[in-house]
Amino acid sequence: MTGHSNAEVPSPEELKAMSREELVALGTRLDGVELVEYGERFEPGSPADKRAERSVAKWFLLATLGALLFIVAFIWWPQGYRPPNDPNQWKYSLYTPILGVTMGLAIGGLGLGVVAMAKRIFPHEVAVQERHRGMSEEVDRRTLAAEVADAGHRSGLVKRRGMIKGTLFLAGGGLATMAAVPIIGGMISNPWAKAAGAPLWVTLWAPTVMPDGTVRKVRLANVDGTPVRPQDMAAGGMMTVFPGVPGGAKAADSPVLLFRFRADTPIMVRTGQENFSYGDFYAYSKICTHVGCPASLYEQQTGRLLCPCHQSQFDLHDGARPVFGPATRPLPQLPIELDNEGFFVAGSDFHEAVGPGFWENGKFPAWSSHPQGSQS
Amino acid sequence: MTTPGPARKRRRIGRGSKAFRRITGGLALLFGLLTVGFAYAALSPTPQTAQASSVDPAQIAAGEQLYNNSCITCHGQNLQGVTDRGPSLIGVGQAAAYFQLSTGRMPAQENQAQMPRRPAWFNPEQIDQLSAFIQANGGGPQVPEGDLTNDAQLALGGELYRLNCASCHNFTGEGGALSQGKYAPNLHEATNSQVYAAMLSGPENMPKFVDSQLTPTEKKAIISFIKYNGNAISPGGLPLGGFGPAPEGLVAFLVGMGAIVALMLWMGSRA
Repeated sequence: MTGHSNAEVPSPEELKAMSREELVALGTRLDGVELVEYGERFEPGSPADKRAERSVAKWFLLATLGALLFIVAFIWWPQGYRPPNDPNQWKYSLYTPILGVTMGLAIGGLGLGVVAMAKRIFPHEVAVQERHRGMSEEVDRRTLAAEVADAGHRSGLVKRRGMIKGTLFLAGGGLATMAAVPIIGGMISNPWAKAAGAPLWVTLWAPTVMPDGTVRKVRLANVDGTPVRPQDMAAGGMMTVFPGVPGGAKAADSPVLLFRFRADTPIMVRTGQENFSYGDFYAYSKICTHVGCPASLYEQQTGRLLCPCHQSQFDLHDGARPVFGPATRPLPQLPIELDNEGFFVAGSDFHEAVGPGFWENGKFPAWSSHPQGSQS
Repeated sequence: MTTPGPARKRRRIGRGSKAFRRITGGLALLFGLLTVGFAYAALSPTPQTAQASSVDPAQIAAGEQLYNNSCITCHGQNLQGVTDRGPSLIGVGQAAAYFQLSTGRMPAQENQAQMPRRPAWFNPEQIDQLSAFIQANGGGPQVPEGDLTNDAQLALGGELYRLNCASCHNFTGEGGALSQGKYAPNLHEATNSQVYAAMLSGPENMPKFVDSQLTPTEKKAIISFIKYNGNAISPGGLPLGGFGPAPEGLVAFLVGMGAIVALMLWMGSRA
């Protein structure tokens, strides 16, 4: 404030004697502002003046109306939930938009009125103001620094008060650790502690070995747990199946798409996975190998499976090879067979990790495929 | 001569006679068969009578005539299909014919990525005739008649819809894009019979959901859910096509940001 104008500050007696216009002129002079042009916008009482007043009042009236309507709607509108088949559904559906529109009128009308007032009622002026010159004055800076240092010394925080400084350090450290734990914490547990049995490699499709040595294979089940048989599906069908074990439909890495292709469709199988299918039935993981969305937009004529998130496409007629989009690894194929009761079971777990890639999984697995039925 | 007659007669229908046993045995067999027949008819589920079930040979013949005029070029003389033009229609059933004809997708105007929905070319009577002809050649799935909704199991319909249908047709049923110009169409334009026929027949790139995969009860529940969704007025204002966050964000950015910039320009302008 100081030092930017050369105006002299008048004494209290002089101030008392000054008129309103003189005080305005003094104020602008003290701030280093020069009013080149200043005055009423319109002739008071003129038609233009009255028109300007009415145009501002219009906004304020609109705001009042909005507020009243909001209050009325909030209290008396029949806002109770109505299901879509109810003929009075529109009453429920309109409640939120009505509140929004009326509140918008109340707040917006007030704001627009204030802006209109500044533009059409307030005095018009053309002002010139000198800009500041660089940093603060030397004397301001030195005195402020001395004040801060003095407060530190006199309160003993510089040389004494180890208890306060120590506990403050602890509190700050605690806060920083708190922020760091969610970021660093995930890197502390070792995902490979169980080696081949690590969660990233194993899903609920893995057969369980019973105490007597028999292997119990996992059935393919519907979302409600009922097992799936080949005759449940027609050629050209698709079904989402889950491991037929408790919690199977909730496991994030286990949903599988079971397809039944048309018998006359030429199918390519991935080398090493010749026996994974059962007849025309093929089962692939539903989890996209890009970032793990459910890839389930199935085009049964082209054999394409699309992922809705980033438009990856997999060619199901060629071992679920990625053919478009960001995914680089094929969808893992689940080996399927029939148990002795005629239900589908998983012959084993997936032979590769499900879902998005990680360091140990590799980005581009070796790929070769050949027509189903041929040897190479 | 008169006495032996009645005596013989009386003897022939007497309680212990062979003839009596034959007659009563026959009656008992008839009664048993009728009972079993009626019981079977009463206890067995009512057959799903399709629109094409009450057909007569004249209807099939009329359908064949229509087929020869409008369909034969692409689907072949014996419905066997023509390479690069149209698929075989043997065994696709009344459901497929009804869906394609009633939604105006067939007869196709030109070969393109996907047949668009258009006003039906044939009238309902002709569609029934053509469907009867298709059904008569190889059979196939048929759309049942009657009420195709199941409002009592709306929640089940919603669950099945989200598991089987929502990935392509969108949570709202508005449909969405597939690869290379293909798309899943809007479900709210379709009638109940058309949705049912689509699930049964798997038109174009849609997978087939036969009755052993989704039972008729479940199919009807899904239809109820689609209708329920279609009747819903969006409580948040304009649904913007129901496509979700992408168009909503775009509109919020372009319209909202445009409005804010315009307001700023107005506020900053000289009066």
